[in-house]
Amino acid sequence: MNHYTIETHDLDVYFKDFKALDKINLSVPEGSIFGFLGPNGAGKTTTIRILLDLMHPEKGKVKIFGKELRQNRVDILKRVGALIENPSIYKHLTGRQNLEVIRKLVGVPKTRIDEVLEIVRLKSNADKKAKGYSLGMCQRLGLASALLTDPKLLILDEPTNGLDPSGIIEMRELIIELNRDYGKTIFLSSHILSEIEKLATDVAIIDRGRIEFLGKLDKLYNQNSGLNVNLDVNDLNKSISILENSQLNVSKSDDDTLNVQAESKEHIANINRILVEAGIDIYSIKSDNNLESVFLNITQKLDQ
Amino acid sequence: MNNLQALRGSLSSEIYKYRSTFLLWFAILSPAFIPAINLVTFLHSGDKILARGGTAWSNLMQYSTGPANFLFPFFVMIVALFMNQIENNSNSWKLIYAQQNPRWSIYLAKVITYCLILFLGLTLYMGLTYAVGKIVHIVNPELGFGAYFSFWKMIERSLMLFIGTLGFASIQFWLGQRFKNLMISLGIGVGGIISFMIVAQGWKYARFHPYGFHMLAGSGVENDKLILWQQMEPLYLSLGLALVVFILAGIDMNKRRII
Repeated sequence: MNHYTIETHDLDVYFKDFKALDKINLSVPEGSIFGFLGPNGAGKTTTIRILLDLMHPEKGKVKIFGKELRQNRVDILKRVGALIENPSIYKHLTGRQNLEVIRKLVGVPKTRIDEVLEIVRLKSNADKKAKGYSLGMCQRLGLASALLTDPKLLILDEPTNGLDPSGIIEMRELIIELNRDYGKTIFLSSHILSEIEKLATDVAIIDRGRIEFLGKLDKLYNQNSGLNVNLDVNDLNKSISILENSQLNVSKSDDDTLNVQAESKEHIANINRILVEAGIDIYSIKSDNNLESVFLNITQKLDQ
Repeated sequence: MNNLQALRGSLSSEIYKYRSTFLLWFAILSPAFIPAINLVTFLHSGDKILARGGTAWSNLMQYSTGPANFLFPFFVMIVALFMNQIENNSNSWKLIYAQQNPRWSIYLAKVITYCLILFLGLTLYMGLTYAVGKIVHIVNPELGFGAYFSFWKMIERSLMLFIGTLGFASIQFWLGQRFKNLMISLGIGVGGIISFMIVAQGWKYARFHPYGFHMLAGSGVENDKLILWQQMEPLYLSLGLALVVFILAGIDMNKRRII
């Protein structure tokens, strides 16, 4: 039997007339790094706010550690640490003092501050004012604050947002370490596909407030085994109409090239042939099968 | 974590976060502003002031309470604003409300800290005013500050002013919590003070104006034959209003989406 740390059932959220979440059903396995993937504005942060009881859904239920969140808020949040979007930091205080504010709030021993500073590798800068911190240090301080209660579940909303490449690598290593060495279940939201691809064991894809995929990362690849083919051609509109007439799934890229969903390598050759025979000049053909193409495959299907 | 522990933790955390802030220095230094001016005034021209009549202490109190009645509402507005702005500027509402502590304990800790700052501000103000009299007496004993003056009466007065203030202080607190834009809260506060000054000119219901309770509250202690309801009415009204507004603001905070 599967043990799920987080389970949501049919969550609906409205912002006035706008339906921000539409029947969100999530199951986050215990001990996993769960990637919550979606474009900006898809509903990731809204879902996270519901998981932390910062807002309540109009409909639906949230269970964390097998208990209903609304009825067991204090007991559940005791075992949850969170980093939501940009870190919340009192800039006039030092890193250590920031942690002290939260430590006093949650009532953990003072020694825990040094322990979490050690984990996030911020001990040498702990006594500097937070206003002098880089964004990466702020994120690590936010993570340290989330770790103060030694939570079983960590909810991280876009933890690599705005970080430089070395900051991203550091944060990634930290997340893996927390999962592997400290046994924490990690719910990680991101719009950066490569991040999720490198970290997650399980994935949910959300778009326009709906869950479009939920399951293991391998299953996602297998289910969407088609290739994303990118073509640079001389006549974009004519090419689109030719391929659409051939019952192909086509869309226009931002850089004025074509994206076509192909089922196999032979299919790519066929697409090439159709266009050449119709008198279209093809300047380049690229194909891939990473999470980016799978993601585009899912979200572009919705566009059509 | 039981309720009391949760409240104690929230309160301790709330007070801790104000170290090295503008609010802390403002709360300490602004009550010293008028006493400092009065010190210079009484040292320099105390004899001229006393020549107009009255005792040394009554003159000093007159020089203190007049400006205090006018400036204290601004002190309240600024404290209410900055107590909530510290969370807005640090983007930390979501941080504190995502913790295990019940929402009410975090809210109540903020309200208690707010009331504490206001009360300490007033007490500091009264204490410094008393100190001004004592210092002037050391420098110029002839002015008459050696005469008996009840310090406890002064504390009582500051308590009255504090209770009279709580009514509009609760409104300012709610506004500060509700709106990130400083101008809304400040604008309503200033509008409240000015409108009281206008209606106080003769409107028979002016005594129900929440921004005037603290000014009307002072009259009760001056009278030896205190009639509990009639002279304490502004205090009861202020206290009642504060209770209602703080509870409504608490319910509002409890239900609010933290975005």
